[in-house]
Amino acid sequence: MSAADERPVRRRFEDGTTIEDLRTYMAPFVATLGFRFNDDEEFVEEVLESELEILDRDGDVFCPCRVRTGDPKEDVKIVCPCIPFYLDQFSAMRKCWCGLFVRIDVEDGSKLHGVIEVPEGPVEVRVVAVEDLADGQGRVVTVGKKKLALFRADGEFYCLANVCKHWGAPLGEGYLDGYFAMCPWHGWRFDVRDGTTDHPDADVRVYEVTVRHGEVFVTV
Amino acid sequence: MDVTLYALSTCPYCRMTKKFLDKNEVEYELVEVDLLEGDEKTDAVATVKELSGGTSFPVLKAGDEIVVGFNKPKLKALLDL
Ligand code: SF4
Repeated sequence: MSAADERPVRRRFEDGTTIEDLRTYMAPFVATLGFRFNDDEEFVEEVLESELEILDRDGDVFCPCRVRTGDPKEDVKIVCPCIPFYLDQFSAMRKCWCGLFVRIDVEDGSKLHGVIEVPEGPVEVRVVAVEDLADGQGRVVTVGKKKLALFRADGEFYCLANVCKHWGAPLGEGYLDGYFAMCPWHGWRFDVRDGTTDHPDADVRVYEVTVRHGEVFVTV
Repeated sequence: MDVTLYALSTCPYCRMTKKFLDKNEVEYELVEVDLLEGDEKTDAVATVKELSGGTSFPVLKAGDEIVVGFNKPKLKALLDL
C-alpha cells in the first residue's frame, strides 16, 4: 500500500449513505453544469453501487472508472461528480466518462454506452437556463477555463469574448443598452450581435448560441 | 495477437467490455488494477498511463494498438469482429 492510499480523506458522507442519498446530493449539482442522470436506471444504480463501495473503502466517492494516482491535486479531479474538471470533454462526448451523467439535451442516454469518441472541433456547452438571464441583462459565464460574456437582448441570447480590448475589462459585467454592451470600465460599446466596436481593431470574438429545451448552449 | 484488458472491478464500461469480448470469444488477459496491491498496482497504473496517457478505464491493448473506453466501433475494427 502506498502512502497516498493511507492518506485519510475528509468524510463528506455519513455511514449508511444510500444510493438515494447520492442521487439527491448529485442531481442539483450536475444540473447547474448542464447534465443529468443517465436514463438507463439500472446502469445508474450499478455505478452508484460501485461508488458506495469506493466510499466505504477509500472514504470518498471517487470515480469508479478512474484510478487514484495518490497525488491529492490529481485525485480531487476524480471525485464524483467530476464534471467541472472535464466540462469541455464531457460536453463534447455528451456524457461523463462513466456514463453516469449525460448532457441535459440527450434524448436517450442508454444509447450512448459504447461510444466514447471525443469529436474534434467546436463543442456545445450548456451555460445557463433561459430563466437565469433576464432580458436586457448580461453576465459572465464560465466554460471550462474560459470566461465568456453572455447577453440577452430583445429576448435573444448573444455571447462574446469576455475581454474588452481596451483595458481587459470583463464585458459581461457591463450593462446592456439595446443591442450594445457597454464595457464596465470606460464605456466602450460592443454590438452583441457581431462583436463590433466603434474603435478600430477592437472588435471581440462572437460565439454561436443555441437555445434548446429551455437551456442555453454556447459553441466554443 | 496478444490482447490485454486493463480494467477496474468497479467500472461499468469495463464490465461491458469484458462481456463484449467474452461474447465474441476473444481470448484476453485481464488485469483488474484496483484489486492489485503494492508494487504490482503501481506498475499496472504506470503501464496504463504509458499506454493511454491517462488513468481512465478500460484500456485494451491488442498487439501495438490500444483502445480506451468501451468503444465498440474501435474494438470491432481492431479485433476484426
Ligand atoms: S466520470 Fe462520471 S461517474 Fe466518474 S466521477 Fe466523473 S461524473 Fe462521476
